[in-house]
Amino acid sequence: MSRIRPGRWLVAIPMALLALATVYPLLFTANVAMKTRRDYILDRFSLTDALRWENISTAWTSVGMGRYFVNSLLVVTVSVGLLLLFGSMAGFALSQLRFRGSTAIFLGCLAGLFVPFQVIMVPLARIMADTGLVDTYPGLVLVYVAQFLPFTVFLMTSYYRTIPPEIVDAARIDGNSVYGVYRRIMLPLGIPALLSVGILNALFCWNDVLMSLVMMPSAEHRTLMVGVTSLRGQYSDDIPTFASGVLIAAIPVLVVYLFLQRQIADGVAAGATKG
Amino acid sequence: MPIGEVQPSVRPARVGRTDGAAGAATRRGVARSRRGRGMRSERLAPYVLLAPAVLIIVLLRLYPLLLGVNFSFTGDGERNGVAVGLDNYLELLRDPLFRTALGNVGLLVLLLPVAVAIPGLLATFIYLRVPGHRLYRSVYFFPAVLSPVIVGAIFNLLLAFDGPVNAVLGSVGVGAVDWLGDPDVAMFVVVGVHVWATFGMGLVVFLAGFATLDSALLDAARVDGASLPQVIWHVIVPGLSRTIQFVFVTTMIGMLTSMFGLLYVMTSGGPEGSTYLPEYYIWIQQGQMNRPALASAASTVLFVIMLVVGLLQIKLLKRAAREV
Repeated sequence: MSRIRPGRWLVAIPMALLALATVYPLLFTANVAMKTRRDYILDRFSLTDALRWENISTAWTSVGMGRYFVNSLLVVTVSVGLLLLFGSMAGFALSQLRFRGSTAIFLGCLAGLFVPFQVIMVPLARIMADTGLVDTYPGLVLVYVAQFLPFTVFLMTSYYRTIPPEIVDAARIDGNSVYGVYRRIMLPLGIPALLSVGILNALFCWNDVLMSLVMMPSAEHRTLMVGVTSLRGQYSDDIPTFASGVLIAAIPVLVVYLFLQRQIADGVAAGATKG
Repeated sequence: MPIGEVQPSVRPARVGRTDGAAGAATRRGVARSRRGRGMRSERLAPYVLLAPAVLIIVLLRLYPLLLGVNFSFTGDGERNGVAVGLDNYLELLRDPLFRTALGNVGLLVLLLPVAVAIPGLLATFIYLRVPGHRLYRSVYFFPAVLSPVIVGAIFNLLLAFDGPVNAVLGSVGVGAVDWLGDPDVAMFVVVGVHVWATFGMGLVVFLAGFATLDSALLDAARVDGASLPQVIWHVIVPGLSRTIQFVFVTTMIGMLTSMFGLLYVMTSGGPEGSTYLPEYYIWIQQGQMNRPALASAASTVLFVIMLVVGLLQIKLLKRAAREV
């Protein structure tokens, strides 16, 4: 024991500094968002003398972050709902049912994991344009669902594999159809995994910028992250408003993380250890 | 789950053969024959359940991949749809921006061991319970949940030429650095910010790996008086070879596919095109330059790079694991 311990403070101090470096940039931004432009130019680091919400409300209304916020919320909610529905259906079938072609289908879904959006951006944009789905909410939802479905199917399948087949058999003997088993047994039993995968998918969709940028060209359809990128040119000389816009985009994630960090970290780890 | 076995889902149940060994399949059969009428729909049920996922993945993931490869051998503009052979690929090789993008991929590969070692070391210390280890796990992971766009915007603010970081440097007598405006510096800054934002991911994966490590080995090493570097090299590295391999591959893929937001917000590929990566190049050619076929060729190159990186790393690490 003691041979590994010497110097643990030598390790602990850099680790504490790193922890500080991890949280400081966001705290700095939050502080700037509360300042007036004058205060910021005079002293960047001093703690704001008052909690001013004017910058936030400016960013929310006249910059349009409120509109983008609602757009993002809408797209993310529908996308995650569909991902969980389709992912759990497929996961149940792949883990608990026997049928011809199950291996091939599982491998096909897995192959989808290795196709990043960047690689299929051009043809996907063309498909969306040809079907009239470009610059529409259903189009972006479909792109998100396609992007994160392989991962969702994979995690739901590995989770449902841990459920003993006897449970399914017992439910069948009680007279449930396959769909009944899915609805009455698999969905309720899958809640922990659905929660974890759902949060991860919500983060992925919420944080995306490239897909949204490619699929939603018009300004009124912008999602929040694209809205953040548009701040740069317009508000580069009004740093407090800029910081407020960034803060609006970060706060929901921050709140989710504070309450659900266990599930998020577990989801990431599950993706790794089951791979 | 027996992925390997492919069996028809419905087996006729023979009366009086529900002894233990016949197992689940027979019992399922009983349940089904009792119902009788729903047989056909029951047999189709797995396919119905899978249909949405399979349709979406095939139509919007796998098919576009083929379409894109096909696309890359056709022309842009006036030659739209005409087969041009390898012209797009030759043009890529001649394009200094794409060459920079490839060079930057090389830089990422060189920096990869650092990007893996940082979360690996931190996870080791957390596993060995440095003071405050509980807190560190959640603090370190925190930037990983922020969008690259948010991270980029924050660092834009911090690293602006007249921004706070240079103000601090100035107050201790160091000259201001043009973090995002100097072609020799900008790429390192962007990669540094990416590592800052994502090392928490690797950390969590490493910690999950540590949970599977046999702590008896560590205790034995301690009893034998091994130093910390010895413990890391002889116990932890071999014990976690699968985890390390996984973090290598995911970190590299992360560098190749999730830096767009940072590049877009922090440098827009500049200064002087020095911070181009393939994904940024693809976006520029497709969205701004209206050269979809050229962009498709770049996409195909990126896909091949990712495949090679993945396979090569798995191979190298397998060999390394055997030699240790």
